[in-house]
Amino acid sequence: MRLLAKAAAALATVTLLAGCGAGGSNSGSGVTTVEWWTINLTAPAANQAIDKVIADFEKANPDIKIKRTPRAVDAHKDALRTAIGTSAAPDIYDYWAGPGLGGELVKANASADLTEYYKQYKWDERFTGAALAPVTQYGGYHGVPWKLNGEALYYNKKLFAQAGITQTPKTLDELNTAAKKLKDAGITPIEFGGTVNWHVMRLLDTFLEGKCGSATFDKLVTKKANWGQESCVTDSFTELQTWAKDYFNPGFIGINNDESSALFYGGKAAMALEGDWFNASIAGQKMNLDDVGVFTLPTSTNRLYGFEQAQYITKDSKNKDAAAKFLDYFTSTKVQQETLGLFAVQSVNKDVKPDEAKASSLDKAWDGVFKNAKGLYMNNDQNLNQSQTREYWRIQNLVATGGLDPKQAGAEMQKFLDSSN
Amino acid sequence: MTKLTETRFTAQASVPQGRPQRKKNLVQRIGKGGFIASLPFLAPALAAYVVFVIAPMISAVRLSLYQWSGYNTDPQVFVGFKNYIRLFTQDPVFWTSVQNTVVWVILSLIIPTTLGLVMALALNQPLVGRNLFRSVFYIPGVLAPIAVANMWRWMYNPNYGVFSEISKTLHIGDGSGVTFLSDPKVAIYAVFAAFVWQVAGLNMVLFLAGLQGVSKELVESARLDGANNWQVFRNVTLPALRPTVVIVMVLTIVHSIKVFDLIVGMTGGGPAQSSQVLALWSYTQSFLNHDFGLGNAVATVLLVVTLVLVVPYLIWSTKGADDQR
Amino acid sequence: MSTATLPATRVRNGIKVPKQARDYVRIGLWIALVIVMVIWAMPLLFVFLTSVKSESDIFTTSSFAIPGILDWENYTEALDTGNLVTAGTNSLFIAIVKVPLGLFIAAAAAFALSRIRFKFDTIILGAFALGSMVPIQVALGPLFKTILDLGLLNNPVGVILPYIGFGLPMQVFILHGFFTAVPKEIDESVRVDGGGNLRLFLQFILPLSKPALAALFILDFVATWNEYAIALVILQNKASQTVPLAIQGFQSQFTSSYGPLNAFTIMSILPVLIIYLLFQRYFVQGMFTGAVKG
Repeated sequence: MRLLAKAAAALATVTLLAGCGAGGSNSGSGVTTVEWWTINLTAPAANQAIDKVIADFEKANPDIKIKRTPRAVDAHKDALRTAIGTSAAPDIYDYWAGPGLGGELVKANASADLTEYYKQYKWDERFTGAALAPVTQYGGYHGVPWKLNGEALYYNKKLFAQAGITQTPKTLDELNTAAKKLKDAGITPIEFGGTVNWHVMRLLDTFLEGKCGSATFDKLVTKKANWGQESCVTDSFTELQTWAKDYFNPGFIGINNDESSALFYGGKAAMALEGDWFNASIAGQKMNLDDVGVFTLPTSTNRLYGFEQAQYITKDSKNKDAAAKFLDYFTSTKVQQETLGLFAVQSVNKDVKPDEAKASSLDKAWDGVFKNAKGLYMNNDQNLNQSQTREYWRIQNLVATGGLDPKQAGAEMQKFLDSSN
Repeated sequence: MTKLTETRFTAQASVPQGRPQRKKNLVQRIGKGGFIASLPFLAPALAAYVVFVIAPMISAVRLSLYQWSGYNTDPQVFVGFKNYIRLFTQDPVFWTSVQNTVVWVILSLIIPTTLGLVMALALNQPLVGRNLFRSVFYIPGVLAPIAVANMWRWMYNPNYGVFSEISKTLHIGDGSGVTFLSDPKVAIYAVFAAFVWQVAGLNMVLFLAGLQGVSKELVESARLDGANNWQVFRNVTLPALRPTVVIVMVLTIVHSIKVFDLIVGMTGGGPAQSSQVLALWSYTQSFLNHDFGLGNAVATVLLVVTLVLVVPYLIWSTKGADDQR
Repeated sequence: MSTATLPATRVRNGIKVPKQARDYVRIGLWIALVIVMVIWAMPLLFVFLTSVKSESDIFTTSSFAIPGILDWENYTEALDTGNLVTAGTNSLFIAIVKVPLGLFIAAAAAFALSRIRFKFDTIILGAFALGSMVPIQVALGPLFKTILDLGLLNNPVGVILPYIGFGLPMQVFILHGFFTAVPKEIDESVRVDGGGNLRLFLQFILPLSKPALAALFILDFVATWNEYAIALVILQNKASQTVPLAIQGFQSQFTSSYGPLNAFTIMSILPVLIIYLLFQRYFVQGMFTGAVKG
């Protein structure tokens, strides 16, 4: 038995050793450590900016330490699911504000109602209306807005000229005409990468908003309208099938968004449906910025297509005051002005003004997109919960690859929504 | 039960006694054995097995009757058989994954096994370079399935992959390259090809081992009786291989029913969930859709299917083990 | 097909003097085998070729083209950007702890089940055998909860424990078969000498079973190195990743950098390839033990 005992002892030692590395949160000596879990920012400059924000804050508040743990999207979701409700939960977590993501966490009792802090720090007056809408939709205040991204159509001016398109499309019909002209000129009208699902989804969402109108769109995603009975749903799926067949890059379903974006950078596709972060991506490529333009998705509803990320304080956090203090600093006009353009083209803070000198032509084009927008419609993977989203994607991909009649798509979606609760 | 208690008493009583008696007792214990005597040897294994295999499985069955998002802050709500009803009647992907799993198991029982047998029969001959052949066929079997998935994904790359290149060179298809993994009708078979590549060599080694047990004398005498190659194979080799065939079949079922890594790595179940299988759908429902009830209902279905397939074999083989004593 | 009966001398003659029909068959067979072998080697070869090409070569030259200069930059890039070193260390640590420990526990259980007679031994053996057949994925959800409750998420011990649990059934089953085949006379002589079960196990049964143990050790090492599903659920941060997780992570992050991607794959499979080449005969033996006794 001696060997067994030794083995057991060895195992116990290993457990202890490994445990030491993982643990360790609040230390004594009057310093509060705020655990902050964020989603990875891909751009190095953005990461450095956040590190600087933390360093500056800690300098001004020696009694508070911010410990930031960035993770990739899926790892972040998993880590949160496992940690919420346990002692391993963070004090602040970064999440998308849509009902299907941030809302699910609010439903699961993960987030604290921040009404008190909104009063204390007068956050109500700080943020834009568009930014506040997603954090107030659950009653009370859940989360502090920090980043609002818009999505629109990027286009290659040279290719548009080559196909004889003189004006950017203002309606879905004009968009169709433009796509047809491009195709006739032998140019791939638009690029998508199908393996990531949410890329193609942007176009389907756009069709739904454009063909159904804002009111019906909102009813559809909140399950107040029947997908199977609205003819605009069928129209949208039909349009998606046509576009996938005629206007997408061939073989889109087998590649991801990085691979398809390369087609846009390389001048092989005329349009890309991307968010404002795409400015930074283009800048990193050998593409002439003057050849690229941005125009609002021509849904004719005047709403901006986009989504918000917010910083939530966990319900069980013991350091809520310190966390709120940090978030107040993080969203302050000073910090937001300094970091403008690194996280998003526009700030969630009303008082932050775009810097005319630093802004590129694309940044300015985005200003127009944001300014003219009245309200926001979110990506449907934000609106729907995760299993509904997966079904939405499945139907979308089936339709796009010709595996499902668009006429049945709406009914199929409704069937699933009825069965899930 | 009484027998057990008796044994324990004997064991306890033996401790304080003198040496000679103790020796005698030990002899007895080994002779008759006893649960208590076996416990120190058995306990660690039983503990690990119960805590990390049996208990989670029972828990999976239990959770399949609940609705739960996986968050600790969210309560588990008992819903009876609702998850199963949803699964069987409303889940649009469940039946696809059942069908794919069944197709996968059936194809696995036919293609890589036959291929392995043919390889083994060929390599059972004294041929030049036998070891090299054997190694090349076997090596895919030791690689991580997730690495294999990445290798094959690259080969299936529509633009630069080797299959696209071959099809373009030979002018097969419309020249747009091979898009096996992105075609909902073909994707699962494209993944299966990688599976065949990986497991045929394993089967080959098993058959080679089995072939060592084929009596040379029997083959010789059959040949003297004028039997041709096929007759020798059919009437002598194959019957002698029967135990090996059973083992290969069982291992194939066990391997193929839990296929997971390859699908995750190559298609993730897509496009449009067309290459979904039970093991992956269970994971997806639990960990990605945050629906642990539905996910564990799928797991329970997988468990039941496995048991139905392997229990008959187990009864047969443990009986065999008993007979060996 | 079966020409194994030919005396060895005639075989050698046969290859040198290919006049008889049977020798033509054999040459045909040999050629067929070479063709199949080339097909079987192609994926690895193709991945290797890509891994030593520069990006422009990958896009412009044929897949089969051998690059003029081997470009090892993909390897350094994969090492720099990927998580291979950390993951490799983690995987090695896990395997080094798990494999011997798991095998010892399995051997002890197999010993009890084969040498000590008690009432439920067949049932317990059956229960173990059953476990070897059930897919790991069935238990993933609850297993995750168990490990979470133990506070072992993102901790190598959090996968070592379930690995031991899930590795046991097969090993117990195979070792049980092997131990049963060891003659009972040994037990007698140990008993006469006054030795107990422990001595019988440690000094006789284990040493006598070295070949089986060695084979299982190697097979289990590879299986542990390659395991993905449990690791995927338990090890969620980058610092605790194992090699398969690192491969998948690299793949999803750098989808279109084909050179480094394939270099990463090659480096990740190198350890098992080396182990295979070093311990080839144990692989065959291990499978053999399993086949005959299982």
